[in-house]
Parts: sequence; structure tokens; C-alpha cells
Amino acid sequence: MFLKPKTKRNREIAFIWMLLLPALMVYLFYRIIPLLWNFVLSFSFWSPGKPFEYAGLYHYEEMLFYDDAFWTALKNTAVFMLATPISIAIALGLALLVDQKIRGRSLYRTLIFLPYPMMVVAVGIVWRWLYNDSVGLINYVLRSLGLIDQPIAFLESYSFAMASVMVAAIWQIVGFFMIILLTGLQNIPAHLYEAAVIDGARAHHRFWRITLPLLRPSIFLCVILGVIASFTSFDLIYTMTGGGPGLATELLITYIYKASFTLSRFDYAAAVTIVMFFLFLTLATVANRLAGGDAGKVDIAD
Amino acid sequence: MATVSFRALVKAYGDLEVVHGINLDVEDGEFVVLVGPSGCGKSTSLRMLAGLEDTSGGDILINEKVVNEVAPRDRDVAMVFQDYALYPHMSVFENMAFSLRYRKTPKAEITTRVMEAADILGLEPLLQRRPKQLSGGQRQRVAMGRAIVRKPQVFLFDEPLSNLDAKLRGSMRLEMKKLHRRLGVTTLYVTHDQIEAMTLADRVVVMNNGHIDQVGTPDEVYKSPKTLFVAGFIGSPTMNVLPAIRDADGSVRVGGADGFSIDRSDIPEDAPQNLVFGIRPEEVFVGETILDDKGPVVTAIVDVVEAQGPDTLVFASLGGHDLTIRTRPDVKVKAGDAVQVQLNISRSHLFNKETGRTL
Repeated sequence: MFLKPKTKRNREIAFIWMLLLPALMVYLFYRIIPLLWNFVLSFSFWSPGKPFEYAGLYHYEEMLFYDDAFWTALKNTAVFMLATPISIAIALGLALLVDQKIRGRSLYRTLIFLPYPMMVVAVGIVWRWLYNDSVGLINYVLRSLGLIDQPIAFLESYSFAMASVMVAAIWQIVGFFMIILLTGLQNIPAHLYEAAVIDGARAHHRFWRITLPLLRPSIFLCVILGVIASFTSFDLIYTMTGGGPGLATELLITYIYKASFTLSRFDYAAAVTIVMFFLFLTLATVANRLAGGDAGKVDIAD
Repeated sequence: MATVSFRALVKAYGDLEVVHGINLDVEDGEFVVLVGPSGCGKSTSLRMLAGLEDTSGGDILINEKVVNEVAPRDRDVAMVFQDYALYPHMSVFENMAFSLRYRKTPKAEITTRVMEAADILGLEPLLQRRPKQLSGGQRQRVAMGRAIVRKPQVFLFDEPLSNLDAKLRGSMRLEMKKLHRRLGVTTLYVTHDQIEAMTLADRVVVMNNGHIDQVGTPDEVYKSPKTLFVAGFIGSPTMNVLPAIRDADGSVRVGGADGFSIDRSDIPEDAPQNLVFGIRPEEVFVGETILDDKGPVVTAIVDVVEAQGPDTLVFASLGGHDLTIRTRPDVKVKAGDAVQVQLNISRSHLFNKETGRTL
């Protein structure tokens, strides 16, 4: 391509490639090649130091028909994903509140946003302390209020662990969603609400018929980011529970980690990764379809 | 059908008062235009009438009933905004039907009424489109359609034509006038454009700095402006103003040493000495248009001549003061000429320089 005559168009194309190249290289080496390698690996027997052998669908059969832990992790991932709609609902409520002309609203905005840029490992450690049964703040408060007699070991309990981890995840991401939704809210022209007021729409009508439809692009963005987060929340789970107790908080991502680095079953982990990849792709496509079409592209500027 | 009244209406934001106790009575079916420069309080007054802003004092009456505390939805008014405020995610049909849905209108009637309005405004082929797919003029029509389907007591327009180009503005103006004649709904219309005010209004309300300077027919505000502000705001090019000094003998000296004197023994004794003399450009005659007995003839120096087709504007200077003359295109003057000009005294105005009010 670079050897073609130096027309203006060719120079432009060369320039575009030059700009694209660094990002494409990173994408290729850290995304495409590992993914392809994973794909190959998932149909093979291999672990470090052992010969490479074709395995066909062996790993997939094991995963789907013999591995209860995989199904538990899958189910847990689905449950953990519920954190996204909950976060969005809370964030929307908060965004509507801090969008009002109240005193100190920028302070509230900052406070609510603050957890998001924190390092997830730090967040995990802080929440582990909060949940701790002997020194944790939550147990202390609950006991002081007389709500419980015995301390609850939230993160070591089969019934509480998943919910507890989800609370931490929601706490961290809610501020980010709030900012996205707040921006969306502020992009809705005030005149639309005034027109609706005169047209006779009451507050709840205005919310359902104007605010929500015009927020759709922002909400969709939150859904996508939330789904990604729930598939990749490795660090939070790992620092808080390590997937335990038992498999109570095991997600696909932590299960993959354990399969590769604890059990050294890289081939099997690769197969799980491929399954997770396709699940994620399906979800993203469905979400895109749902928010897509005309409604997802509402141009508020007009 | 409805009457609208403002009684000592006040709007203040904290300590800043922007509307200072204005009074206005709009008759049933009247088309009233509030006109004034930006920040004069015209939009604020309209928004108070719509219920979008609270009043800070005084009363707003619709059909003789005080509506200060009535919610906007229950005032039975419809408003057209400058940016049209169309709901971007709804079709033209849905935009127009929106208000009817919240007034418990049966489905069949909603369709009938929307189709009716679409017919009036020529919107039928566009009913399924989104606002984004419409041109500025079409959006404007949809905004009007949304107001029409409601069959409200009062129409409120807040600078509805400002976002259109000049040509479209002219044709929409005509359409609005026709529409008003057809529907006969009481209308309050806010604009900063004096041409819109003059062409549309049954009565013009000229506002300045939160006060109403004058209420009158377009003819009245043009021919007998009550204040210097009205005189300057209405009419294009604006009225000529020259400094004038009243002498003890009842004569008034206009334009200083190079100017002229007129006999105004009719003005009251207690009138101040410092006055302002005002005369419209078309009441200044030049060349062969000068007639006997119309008024004093003085010499002016021509600065610029603008041929506009149907008439010619001559920008001259009279004793160092600007003087604009509107004359026939066949009157031959050119820049640099010293020409005789005549001022039609019977159509001139004298204002108190201090208060700006007419004598």
C-alpha cells in the first residue's frame, strides 16, 4: 500500500493507518491473539511442561455434564449481574435528587462519586473489615441497635456472602452510573418539561414519558458497563471472599482463575473462558438490540 | 374564549425586581403582542401567565378569575416556545396528541382533533415523522398544532418565529394571522421584533425595563408614541431625535444653532426647558417633495444614500445631528450634497428629555 503512487488519497489512507496502528497492535496482542490461543487451547490437552494434544470436545463435555462447580459459578454470575439493574435504579434516584436545586448538591455528587475511582482491592479490604464479625462496623451497629444478638459473619455465611459482595459492588459503581445519568438528565432541555407541564402531564407522567425515554441512551451505557463489570469483577470477589465460602460467591471469572493458576488446568480454563466469551457476546448483542433502533439514537440536541 | 388581565403584576428574583407592577387587560379573542428589547420582562410576564413562574406580587386573571395559585395544567392555556420544545422521541402525531392523553380525551376524539389540526396546518403527510426529520418551518407548525388541538382558552407564543430564516418568518407571520382569524382565540405573543408586533397585533404592548410604556393599536404606537423609548423602538429606520430647548415665549428651538424654531405656545407653562424633538424619516421631505406650509426648511448635508427600491433612505446630518429621511426613489440626491429638507411639524413629537414622556 505504501508503494502505490503518492496520490492525496493514498497519503490519507497511510496517515489513518499510522494513527490506528499502535491501538491495533495492542488490541491484536492482548485481545485477538490470546482469544485465538484460548480457542485452540480449549480443544486441547495442555498444561505447562506437558505435550500438546488434541482433545476435541472433552473439556466442554466435562464442563457441561460433569462439573457442578461450573454451573454454580454460572448461576452465581447471573445473580451477581442483578447488581447492575439495582445500581442503575439507585443511581437514577440519586441523579434525580442531586439534579434538584438543593443546597450542597455538588458536595453530594462528589461524595457519591468518590468510591468509583478507588482501587477495587482497597474497596474489598475496607468492606471485609466492615463485614467482619468481631471487629466490623456493621456488626457493631446492628448489635448496638439491638437488631441482632449474635454477630453475623457476613462473608463466611452461605446465606449472606453473595448479597454482601453485591452490596460492595453496587456501592462502588453507583456513583459512576449517577454521573452518567445526571449528564443524560441535564441534556434534556428544560423547555420539554415546561411544555409537558402546560400540556397537563403530572410529575410521574413527565418521568415515564419524557425523562425515561430520553435517558435511554444513558441507561443503555450503564447496562453495558454494568454487564462488563459483573463478568470481570475478579478483584472484588478475590479480595473479599476468594469465591467462598465453598462456592457461594464463585463467579465464572474467579473459577477460570482457579482452574488455571491453582489447578494448573489451563486447557480447561480456556474452555470456560470461551463459554463466558460467547455468553457475554450474546448478552451485549441482546442489550444492543433492546436499546438500539430509533430509540437508542434519540438526538436530544434537536 | 377568555379575557386575560394583569393587576399590578410583579416578578422579583430575590432583591432583583424584573417586572414592576404592570397592568394589562386583554379582551376576549384579541391578539396582543408584548414587544420590547431582551430583558424587558415580556417573556417573564408570559411565563407567569402560563404558570411556569410564580408571581411575586399582584394578580393574574383569566376570565376574571385569579389564577396565581392555579397549576399550569388547569389554566387551560397552550404555549408555543421559541425552540418549539417538541418531544424528540415522539412522532408528530404523538406530539400533538400528548396533551389530550392527559385530559382524559377518548381515543377517537384525539385522532379527530389531531387530524383536524394537521389539516389546518398542512401536516398530514408528516404525522408519522419524528421532529428531527422536519425542517424548521415544519417544526414550528407542529408546535402550533400541539397548541391548537387543545382548544385552549388562551394561546401563548414566546418568540415563536425567532429561529426561522427571514423569508419563512414572513410567510409564517401571515399564516399565524390567518389562523388567529379562523380560531378567534385570545392570544398573547411575545417578540423583540417590532415588525412582528406591528403586523400581527390587534394591540401592541411596548415594554421597557419591566414597565409597560404604552398599550395601543399598531397605528397608535407608531403615530403617537407616548415615550421616547416607544418612539425609538417602533419603526425602522427609527424615529429621528433632535435636542430641543423651550424658550419663555412659547417657541421651541430644535437642533441648536443650525436648526430651526417652531411655535409651540400650546405646551404647558410648567413643561421643562430641555426637550427632545422627534420626527419619523418619512415626515422629512427633501428636494421636490417639499410642500408649502408643512414646516420649516433647513439645510442638511447628505452622508449616505441607500436606494432600497420602493423608497430611498437618505442619511444626512443637520447641525451635527443625524437625520434620516425616507423619500421617493426618483428624488435625486447624492452623498456630499447640501440639501434643503423640510420637517412636517404636524407629525412631529416633543418629549420631556428627563422623563422621556411625551408632552
